[in-house]
Formats: sequence, structure tokens, C-alpha cells
Amino acid sequence: MGDKPIWEQIGSSFVQHYYQLFDTDRTQLGAIYIDASCLTWEGQQFQGKAAIVEKLSSLPFTKIAHSITAQDHQPTPDSCILSMVVGQLKADDDQILGFQQTFLLKNYSSAWVCTNEVFRLALHNL
Amino acid sequence: RVCGGRNIMEWSIRHPACNYRDGLGLNKVGWSHKTMVSNKTECPKHSSNFLCLTASFSPFLLLLQYHVDGNRAMFYVEDATTANSLLKVSRKITDKDGYKVTVIMNSCPPPSFINTELRPEDLENLKQCMSKRFDGSQQALDLNNIRIDPDLVSLNIEVALNRKNSMQAVIKIIEENIPELVCLNLSNNRLYRLDDLGEIVNKTPNLKILNLSQNEIKTERELDRLKGLSLTELWLSGNPLCNHFKDQTAYIRSDGQVFSVIGFDIEVSPQPLPPCKTSYFPTDEIKNLILCFLQQYYSVYDSADRQPLLDAYHDGAAFSLSIPFSMQHPSKCSLGEYQKDSRNIKRLKDSTTRFRLLKHTRLNVVAFLNELPKTQHDVASFNVDVNTFTNTLLSFTVSGVFKEVDGKSRDSFRAFSRVFISVPAGNSSLCIINDEMFIRNATTEEIRRAFVAPAPTPSSSPVPTLSATQQEMLNTFSSKSGMNIEWSQKCLQDNDWDFDRAAQIFTELKAQGKIPDVAFMK
Repeated sequence: MGDKPIWEQIGSSFVQHYYQLFDTDRTQLGAIYIDASCLTWEGQQFQGKAAIVEKLSSLPFTKIAHSITAQDHQPTPDSCILSMVVGQLKADDDQILGFQQTFLLKNYSSAWVCTNEVFRLALHNL
Repeated sequence: RVCGGRNIMEWSIRHPACNYRDGLGLNKVGWSHKTMVSNKTECPKHSSNFLCLTASFSPFLLLLQYHVDGNRAMFYVEDATTANSLLKVSRKITDKDGYKVTVIMNSCPPPSFINTELRPEDLENLKQCMSKRFDGSQQALDLNNIRIDPDLVSLNIEVALNRKNSMQAVIKIIEENIPELVCLNLSNNRLYRLDDLGEIVNKTPNLKILNLSQNEIKTERELDRLKGLSLTELWLSGNPLCNHFKDQTAYIRSDGQVFSVIGFDIEVSPQPLPPCKTSYFPTDEIKNLILCFLQQYYSVYDSADRQPLLDAYHDGAAFSLSIPFSMQHPSKCSLGEYQKDSRNIKRLKDSTTRFRLLKHTRLNVVAFLNELPKTQHDVASFNVDVNTFTNTLLSFTVSGVFKEVDGKSRDSFRAFSRVFISVPAGNSSLCIINDEMFIRNATTEEIRRAFVAPAPTPSSSPVPTLSATQQEMLNTFSSKSGMNIEWSQKCLQDNDWDFDRAAQIFTELKAQGKIPDVAFMK
């Protein structure tokens, strides 16, 4: 852990935290967003912590499990962190689907929050 | 879950992204009990991805007799729109192993398992339902979207008028209870064919108003099934056939009845088809020329040896033959013998074969004609139309019927159409440059009418010596009737030289058009 650049450490621990929360109780995800946060979920736009949490909580599955295949992290010129995750997920009894998710993290009141998030399923022709 | 008398299993099928995207609710897909692959609540392997996709089509998509055969899943769907939509999905989706799923579609008549007869108690309930929808004061029956009628649905009675059994049941109830029906509304019943509805002709003589709007009728030819109904109003809006009409004043002809389409409300103004005229000749001179030629040509053609036809053809003449293309199995009366020489260039793409099948030079032409089965033509029934004529060219089409008198197809009746292009020849005859023949089997009507007219008396037959009285009668008869001596004589002979009777018979036959043109050739 000491060898990795700081943005990678922050990025990967954020990612781990995010999916753990998402898979256990996604209603608790509110803490990582702020009022200026934006989420684009499968093409739908949401803005603000409340709206985002409402969307994520209202997704119709009960069980969800994410498995990360790869993640990448970069520092941005304005001292934010850009993280991208590629992986697979399985909701309830559905088949396993691929997904990709991108986060922009910012240091906000000495905590790292997500200001921008984009989620897409890896589905083609559907 | 089992529901209703038809044991439909309902499955909830998920679009793969339905947990993540809005607007993709759970969609039900049903199939009948015959399709059960297993009694576990899981979709067969190939179905789940495929059916996940179909969830985006319609809220209720009925796949009938779904079954898996090896690596293929097969099922029926009821309407063409759904089938076409499913076809578009081909090779755009993958199964669980990542292989692309191919969708193949064939249209077919309703399969046998669809024929679910309505039970007697169902028929009684249907009758009750229909009587509720009947307005006695107007003699009007409203069967709009009868399938979703609450009474029928609550009793689980399936009445789909686009199926033969349902339509037959409804027509029977109409026939037995309300034959004086004036107005019938069949809109929104997914009708795509009208042959079952056609049964209603003759059962409802008073039917004047027919509403077929919002159905799936694709061509105006379907309306031919309604021949015999004397409608004053026909509603067709909301059918695919409406797209064929470019403007609001388009017309449909149906058995001589002309419908005018005004804003897709149809009024019928009966107007019979003009009768079919017989042969066309631009001048009498040409008429005599051609008829004389054909008389000679076919007397040789129908004889044992066609070699003398060489005199009728130009040195560089060309001949070809074609027959209708048919996929049916050869039968006794088939045109099999002509098959190998049929030069149908719509099907023959190879230029070598096309060249080979064209008989060129009169020797080849006549040699080939001599190989064709021996025939007997009904010259009297020929229809001759002159296509074009100039001082140096005469093109005409001959159509008629002949019988094969030997070979495998002995006694088969054929109909032919033959185009000749000819130039004048010595001794005021014709010389054929091009000869193109089309042969098909004769229709029953053609067979019935063939060879009915009295066989022409060849002028070479021995003429019995006539008495002076008979001779005089003959001349008078000939000049009065216009027929030539041979035919006049035959007519008089057939009537025992009773001038008045012969004249009467002649007038009758002439009025009926039964006297061939050759009788008048002097």
C-alpha cells in the first residue's frame, strides 16, 4: 500500500466502500454525495444527494452483488480523482451482467465525496 | 399459474436491464399447455435471453406451442406485426453462452392445435352476448373487439374472429337468429383474411352496412370474398390496405362492383364488367387472310406429319415454347413433356441454355414441331387478335384449346397462346418469321366449351349431288345467311332441307355466337 500513489489509494478504498455499501444497504449511500453531485444512471440524470439516494434506493432489486474486474484511478488538475470501474453484477435471480461506472471524487470538508457518477450496463443491441 | 380453460402458463419475463432502466416493467409472456418444456418455473435456455428481448414489444405476447428441438426453440405467433418485430431481433441478441440467436420466420396457415371448437354451453353464452350487442330497431350487430367482451372474458370464452371456428360460430348464430341483419360491425378483430367471413354471403340478404375498420386486411383482393353482398356502405379505415390508396378518390373493383373510396367510407355503385369481345381484325381483308392461313396451318398441324409446315416458315424463322412454372408434383395431366423445352427466361438465366432452346431456321423449327405430341385443335374456338400490321408485316396472337391425341398425355386438354410475326408470301398467304407459343392446361370451363361447335366440313369431302331445288335453296340460303356453300349445305342437310327450320336454327346459333368465323369465309 505504501508504494501506490495517493490517488490510487483513495480511489480504491472509495470504490471498495461504495460497492460494499451498495451491496448491503444502498440507502446508506447518502454520505458520499453532496447537493451538487450529479448521477447519470443508465442515461437518466439526477442531481443532489436526496434525488440520487432516492433513485438508488428505489431500484427494484432486493439482492445485488458486484464483482470488480478492473479499476483505474487518475489525479485531475484541480486535485480531484477520476475513477473508473469495470465489473459484473447480479441482481436477485437475474443473469450476470457487465457494467461500467465512473466516479469523480473531491475533497470536501476533509472527506472524499463523489461529485459526478456515471453508470452503464454493458448491453449492446438491447 | 394455470388460468382458464386453455391452461395457459404465464411467465414473467425480465428484460435484462429492467432492474436498471425505467419503463421496462415486468412483461408477461404466455404459452399454451402444450408448450410446457418442463414443469419447473424456469425458462428453457434459449428462451430466456430471447424472451427477455420480446418483453420490450408488447405487454402481452402470446407464443403458441413453444417447444425446444435440439438447439432450436420454435413457436407460433398470431399476427404478422409481432412476427416481423421478432424477426428484426435476429442476430442482435446473444444467448447465455454468447452465441448470436438467429430468428427465422415462416408464414403459415393456422396450425391444427388452434382449432379449439366452442363448446355448446359456450355457444349459448356467445349467443346471449351477441344478443346484448344487437340493436333490433336498427337491425345492427356490433361485434367490435368482441374478444375482450367482459361477458365472454369472465366466462373464459375465447372468440377470435380471425379464426375460422369463431367466425363460423358467429355466422351460424346470425343465420339462425337474425338473418334480416342490415348492419354489421366487425372492427378491431384483427381480421386479415375474409374467406371465413365470405360464408355470410347468401345468409344475410339484407346486409347493407359492413364495418371492417381497424383490422389487418392487406389487399383489396380480400374483398372479393364478399362478392354477392349488396352493400351500400363499407368501412375500411385503419387497415394496411388503406396505404395503397394514393388519394381519396381511389377505386376498388370487385367482381364488377365499383367501390368509390371517399375518406375511406365506401359507397357501392354496381356496374357490371363489359363483356369480353372475340377476335379483333382491323380489316376484313386481313381477317380473311389470317383465318385462311390458320385453317391451312392447323389442318397440317393436326395431321400425322407436320413436315409440310416448312412452306409456312421463312428460312430464318425462330420458334420458342414456354409453359407456366409450377412447383407441384407432376400428375397425369401435367405438362411434363414440354418442360425440357420450356424457354421461360424469367427462370432461365444461363445464356447458353436460352440460346439452345430457341429453335432457329425453319428446318429446326419444323423438326421440333414434329416432335411435339399429336394434337387436335378446336379451330372454331380460336380467338385471334391482330397486334400490328403494316404493308410488310403482320403480327397476330392466336389463343385457343387443343387436345393431345397420342402419347402419355392422350386426351389431355391444353390451352395455348401463340404469337406469330409474319410477312406477306406468294399466293396471298403468310410467311412466318417468328412464332412464340405458350401452353398451359385448359381450365374446366375451357374444356366444357371446347369442341362444342359443329366440326367444320372440309371442302374436300364428297359433295352429294343435289337436286335443282336443293341447289337453288342452297344458293338462297347461302346469300341470305352469309355463310359459305359448305356451311350452308351442312345446315340445310342437318335440318332435312327444311329452309325455314334451317334458317331458324341458323339465327339462333348466330345470336348465341356459336357459329365460327370460318363459316362465313367464301
